[in-house]
Amino acid sequence: METKRTPIISVKNLYKIYRVGETQVRALNGVDLNIYPGEFCAIVGTSGSGKSTLLNMLAGLEKPTKGEVAIGRCHLEKMNENQLVRFRREAVGFIFQAFNLIPSMNALENVALPLSFRGVPKKIRLKRAAGLLKTVGLAEHMFHKPSQMSGGQQQRVGVARALVVDPTIIFADEPTGNLDSATSAEVMELMQRVVREQKKTMVMVTHDNHLAGFADRIFHIIDGKIVKIEEKVKEGEKER
Amino acid sequence: MRFWDLIRMSLSNLWRRKLRTFLTVLGVMIGTASIVVMVSLGLALNKSTMETMESSGGLTTIQVYENGSFVSMGSGSEEESSQETKRITEDTIKELAQIPHVTLVSPVLNVQILAKQGRYIGYLDVYGMSKEALESMDLDFAWGQIPKEGDGLSFVYGNQVMMNFYNESTGEGYWDSGVLPDVDLEKPLYYIFDQESYWASQNPVEDTGENEQQTQNVSPPKKYMLPVAGVLAGDMETYTEQSYGVYCDVETLLPQLKRVFKNKAIPGQPVTKSGKPYKEIYYNQAYVRIDDMDYAEEIQNEIKNLGYTPNWNAEWVKSQQKQYQSIQLVLGGIGAVSLFVAAIGIANTMMMSIYERTKEIGILKVLGCSLSNIRTMFLAEASAIGLIGGIVGLMLSFGISWALNNFGAALGGAITGMTEAQISYIPFWLAGLALAFAVLVGMIAGFFPALRAMRLSPLAAIRNE
Ligand SMILES: Nc1ncnc2c1ncn2[C@@H]1O[C@H](COP(=O)(O)OP(=O)(O)OP(=O)(O)O)[C@@H](O)[C@H]1O
Ligand SMILES: [Mg+2]
Repeated sequence: METKRTPIISVKNLYKIYRVGETQVRALNGVDLNIYPGEFCAIVGTSGSGKSTLLNMLAGLEKPTKGEVAIGRCHLEKMNENQLVRFRREAVGFIFQAFNLIPSMNALENVALPLSFRGVPKKIRLKRAAGLLKTVGLAEHMFHKPSQMSGGQQQRVGVARALVVDPTIIFADEPTGNLDSATSAEVMELMQRVVREQKKTMVMVTHDNHLAGFADRIFHIIDGKIVKIEEKVKEGEKER
Repeated sequence: MRFWDLIRMSLSNLWRRKLRTFLTVLGVMIGTASIVVMVSLGLALNKSTMETMESSGGLTTIQVYENGSFVSMGSGSEEESSQETKRITEDTIKELAQIPHVTLVSPVLNVQILAKQGRYIGYLDVYGMSKEALESMDLDFAWGQIPKEGDGLSFVYGNQVMMNFYNESTGEGYWDSGVLPDVDLEKPLYYIFDQESYWASQNPVEDTGENEQQTQNVSPPKKYMLPVAGVLAGDMETYTEQSYGVYCDVETLLPQLKRVFKNKAIPGQPVTKSGKPYKEIYYNQAYVRIDDMDYAEEIQNEIKNLGYTPNWNAEWVKSQQKQYQSIQLVLGGIGAVSLFVAAIGIANTMMMSIYERTKEIGILKVLGCSLSNIRTMFLAEASAIGLIGGIVGLMLSFGISWALNNFGAALGGAITGMTEAQISYIPFWLAGLALAFAVLVGMIAGFFPALRAMRLSPLAAIRNE
């Protein structure tokens, strides 16, 4: 049943080889995967296994050495940088490990920022941002600067910022990497809830098997190769 | 991205680093001010020359002389040989009027006339010109006006003509006593056209040998009482080209001269070998007005081709202007060096800020800020530094200019003797140009930093340093 759906992300035979001096580092060594709309996927692996590299390829932040990355009908490997930026602006939300909020802007402005790149007028921008901050439970922290918020709160702002542009796919690279386990669980639950409610596709990188458990499907990656795909369909169906 | 969002972001980035922005702006301010003040000095110099020129006859008049009139001045014998020289006649006037861009041509008949009132006598350097030419000179009258049609012969006195009068019996005049002769120009004066017979009749003894018998019999020539039409404005200190001249309508002067010198030659007119006057009147020069000084060169060439000698008073203005241009270039160059240093300051500030904001720029790129927007953002930041520096620099320039003109003028006046002269002059175009230049310098200085920011990798946002 699942396989008959058209994938939103389709990766074929993807290689990324870094040259460091004389030696070659095969960060990705022939990756094939399909991700379907509305899925919450996790990429799990040990440090240096190539998780971040894969995610960066999917988000169009890096060019593959070989292979195909197709998001819908767009082939990222064929796009130039202008087109890639445009693709991110229109289809992608991104959640960073280090939160990466702009320190000079308050929570509201940070969330509204990606909308300004689309030319959305300020009033509408701020209204939308305020709505999302409420969704992530930060209605009272709208005018706080990043330095005036805890890590968990900052990452909630990060989640709101990723959602504000109404993206088709959200990428997250170790979104809870800088948080303690209790806060991590909170943020993960928030992300899971939002993804389900808003029917977003989400790809998350983590090295924590427990956190990966929040996902519908888990890709295990070792030395640049996907070695195992874990499905958790039953759990998803139960909840529905 | 919307334009105002871009600008707001750039400005807030500048505001975030107030001190650094302030210091960079300071550099641009000093650069702009030094350029503007330096150039304004040169412009003021140029302007005062132009004004002097304008007051002394204008830039659009050309005097036309017969060929060789300058050369033959020294050696009288040459006059015979240059029989073919074209003299300035009525035909010449018509000929000159045909030249394009010539708006007015008038004959100029220059004669010496003696004027007398009471004990005082004076030589007048009289210029007979057409009424139109007199009008075109835009004479500034203390009282009176240009002789009206049908008034008969009447004179316009230059403001310094009074200096030429002296006491006939003592021989003492303004130059000896420093006191102006007591001549009332509002009352009529007596004019003696035939000076030769006048002096002959006055001082028969002084004449030598052969002529003695004749001269003793000379009766004093007729004196004519004629009105003064007006006197030009200005005191003994103000010199203009017309200060020493006496002007009248040539149409009324000529008949008068013809009446006085019935069979003789009018003084100054050439004579045949037998001493008889020619039928035609030969003018001393032609007064030509042109519509634009840019054509002066061209018109002068045409006049030369016609066989006359043109003289453009403003010839030296051109060489002066060239000289001032080079002074301005040097002064402006000094200013430009400081603006160049300011440009390096801007580039440095921008590079620093990009270096610090590498991660932030990466975030913007990951979030989908287009490359051109990032470039524009940094260019706008650099231009804003240029603009603010330019505005503050201009205000400073106006302040310095004002101070120079108000306090420096006394000092400069003491040295140069020109009390009225402006030391610094900032025309509107200079202010505009300086501002545009400051912004341009900011943009150029910000160009490479902006390109660099544009090319930064978005991965900078993801790597954790
Ligand atoms: N820019 C680069 N130049 C050279 N080698 C690189 C570069 N980026 C990554 N690598 C190498 O590629 C491999 C995969 O790196 P990647 O960052 O994808 O690992 P990761 O799975 O995200 O690890 P972690 O869990 O520690 O973040 C590593 O061996 C790394 O050394
Ligand atoms: Mg990683």
